[in-house]
Amino acid sequence: MSTAMNFSAKSFKPRPPDKGAFPLDHFGECSAFKERFMQCLRDSGFESGACRERAMAYLQCRMDRQLMANEPLEKLGFKDLMDEKSEAERGKL
Amino acid sequence: MRPVRERVLKVTFNADVHAGLQWNFRPQQSEIYVVPGETALAFYKAKNPTDKPIIGISTYNVVPFEAGQYFNKIQCFCFEEQWLNPHEEVDMPVFFYIDPEFAEDPKMAKVDSITLSYTFFEAKEGQHLPLPGYQ
Repeated sequence: MSTAMNFSAKSFKPRPPDKGAFPLDHFGECSAFKERFMQCLRDSGFESGACRERAMAYLQCRMDRQLMANEPLEKLGFKDLMDEKSEAERGKL
Repeated sequence: MRPVRERVLKVTFNADVHAGLQWNFRPQQSEIYVVPGETALAFYKAKNPTDKPIIGISTYNVVPFEAGQYFNKIQCFCFEEQWLNPHEEVDMPVFFYIDPEFAEDPKMAKVDSITLSYTFFEAKEGQHLPLPGYQ
């Protein structure tokens, strides 16, 4: 077995997730949202950036059903998409 | 946090179960393409094909080793016990991002692919999850 001689200042230690573990979606309440997201991935050649709206919708589904702690979507890396949404809504008024 | 658009990275997904765990566990996508600084979602799937409930617990690993420090999991299914009923199948999401500082590390200049591996074990009392790397 070889040892990795790691002299870099930062070293990798597996860390627990920042927001903890997702409770399991035992009843598949968000399966439809997951499926739409996966379809987007398949259609886009697995480009994560192309499917952020659907990723956001999936996480929103979880939050709506207490399968994820409520957190403003802006803080989950979706600020640009949320800003677009508010602008679109303002345009309708 | 700003996405570093010129640095596309391929993230590939691996799934393992320890010999003692009778779950079927697999990634739902073999790879996705991400950029540092942009959050990403991916899925695994787990099924308990037996007639008894089974509790699993997982750990993860990132290859290359040095890229692991830039891999940030916002939320996932790891490190906590997960209970699957007999014949139950569930989606297991991983929500993560690669730290934008990755793009500024000269040691990472040639890294364009990162592999994320999850391994599930059967959860037992007094168990110590084997963690990779140096303690």
